[in-house]
Amino acid sequence: MTNMLLTGYILVWPVASAAVLVALIVALIRDMRAASRDGDSMI
Amino acid sequence: MQETDFFKLSTSTALMLLVGFYGLTFLLSMLIGKKKENVDGYMVSNNAIGFGLSAASMIATWIWAASFYASATSGYRYGLSGPLHYGLWGALMILFIYPFGRRFRKLAPRAHTLAEVIQARHGTSSQLIMAVSNLIGSCISLMVNFTAAGALVSILSPLSFIQGVLIAGLGVLSYTLWSGFRASVMTDFAQLIAMILAAVVIIPLIFFNAGGTDMLAANLGNLSEQQADFFSTKAILEQGAPYFVAVLAYAIGNQTIAQRLFAVREDLIKSTFLTATLGYGAVVIGLGMLGLLALLVGLEPANGNMNNIIPQMASTYLPPFGIALFFILVVGSLSSTADSDLSALSAIVMTDVYGKNLARGKPCPKRMLWLGRITMVVATMLGVIFASLRLDILVMLVFVGALWGAIVFPVIVSFYWNRVSNKAFTWAVVSAVALFTTARFELLPLDGIVAVFFELCASLGLGVVIGLMVFAFFNRRVAIAMGVGAAIVSMPFTIGFLREYVVLLSSLTAYGVSAAVCVAISLRSNERFDFDLLAERVTSFHQDDEPAAAQPGPVSTGGGRIAAARA
Repeated sequence: MTNMLLTGYILVWPVASAAVLVALIVALIRDMRAASRDGDSMI
Repeated sequence: MQETDFFKLSTSTALMLLVGFYGLTFLLSMLIGKKKENVDGYMVSNNAIGFGLSAASMIATWIWAASFYASATSGYRYGLSGPLHYGLWGALMILFIYPFGRRFRKLAPRAHTLAEVIQARHGTSSQLIMAVSNLIGSCISLMVNFTAAGALVSILSPLSFIQGVLIAGLGVLSYTLWSGFRASVMTDFAQLIAMILAAVVIIPLIFFNAGGTDMLAANLGNLSEQQADFFSTKAILEQGAPYFVAVLAYAIGNQTIAQRLFAVREDLIKSTFLTATLGYGAVVIGLGMLGLLALLVGLEPANGNMNNIIPQMASTYLPPFGIALFFILVVGSLSSTADSDLSALSAIVMTDVYGKNLARGKPCPKRMLWLGRITMVVATMLGVIFASLRLDILVMLVFVGALWGAIVFPVIVSFYWNRVSNKAFTWAVVSAVALFTTARFELLPLDGIVAVFFELCASLGLGVVIGLMVFAFFNRRVAIAMGVGAAIVSMPFTIGFLREYVVLLSSLTAYGVSAAVCVAISLRSNERFDFDLLAERVTSFHQDDEPAAAQPGPVSTGGGRIAAARA
């Protein structure tokens, strides 16, 4: 049980990193669409 | 260096990776390049960057090459809780700083640097304290990142240290020079994607190649009692607490963070900082786990150098493809921070040196823009030269840390309390740095009444840190009550004890003394500052008709606002 918890403790961080990555990519796509629709520059 | 400990990429592979990385980044920066850049855009973009780009840029900037190495070192030294005592506190500081950031942004929505807002609030001496600490901090960061590039290249390829430093310096300068901050933010996104993808692949790959859960079961006995303790006091006192105190100062004292604060769309500050907290924490703690794994498998760092832990783990447990990914991970992290440092340095020179001082109220946007670009070139040259010389920067780092620790309270309170004066700000910082130096370098023997004095200052400092953190999310009364309570409750524990932990003692002393002096002088002050003046004084530089820089000075005495002549 301890070993499984420790395994989870070590591997949860790349999973969380991947989740943040997905969130950022989705947000960027939304920003790009909004900028394109409004004729604005994103940056 | 024990070269046999490391797998080496071939020269052509290393060059291909570096040229590919910097070439693609350069092309990306070309997408947003304008023939005529706007001087404000060069420093803070359009003040309305969206969530995705700004959060990614915040994470990429906050993560530098040292983040991986230090987090892994913490995991290796302190065991189970080690990576948390590096990554978690670093992440939480992003979270704690955003409410203050929102206040700065609300008061001065068109600001370019925090020092510029300080000038509008207090005047030139306070501005210069802030600007100088920013300048030195960014120069050190630049040098450290170039040094990391040289070390990485020399460890994992046949290329030399100097070649690595030069390639990184030229690569970063090439894509940042023309469009400045806009290019930095744009490329940060791509660099962060590369970094996270690499981390997501590398961490599990090393874990399973090292033996996975079976290895954990077999080697948990290798940990000492403290290393196996998730709530290790040794880890807290030696790593967690000093780092926690240091990063709060870093978050306030670093222009790269302030620049992104002024660039993101105002209503997105909270979501940006929250996501950056999660992203930074996940990546840095995850890579810190490699240090824990190294401890578990019994790895000995080559030459006793803790910075070799991650490259050694990569060399031992990753296939060549994984090592190439690791290479990109480190190059991405150091480049994203280095380009932010270049943008920060140029913004400080453009705004705080030229715009608010040398230009005497009549800044020329075109000249300002070129000054920013020249600053980038000079900073890169200095960064490359200092990195090549491999200077020992410990003393400089200690002083910058002290300066940043000393300015946290005066900076924050200056934007909430209208009685804080320029005199209070300046003397608070000067006295805090003086006493920090005395404690940190033990200029007086830390025993007897002297040690008790510093422990009392440190207790006060602890109260200040707690109070500021509470003030980020609650009202002033709760914050003061918590801060005073923390200071009083901690005294019996700190007196006679904290003198053994000089780093923590001196850092907390800086907080405590600066707060005490700032409050004492402010209470004697008759000045009452009108915060609405900040937005009037801090404006865009890109105005065709009138010069933008204004001089500080108008304050109210006894409640009445004194009108002041403005440029």
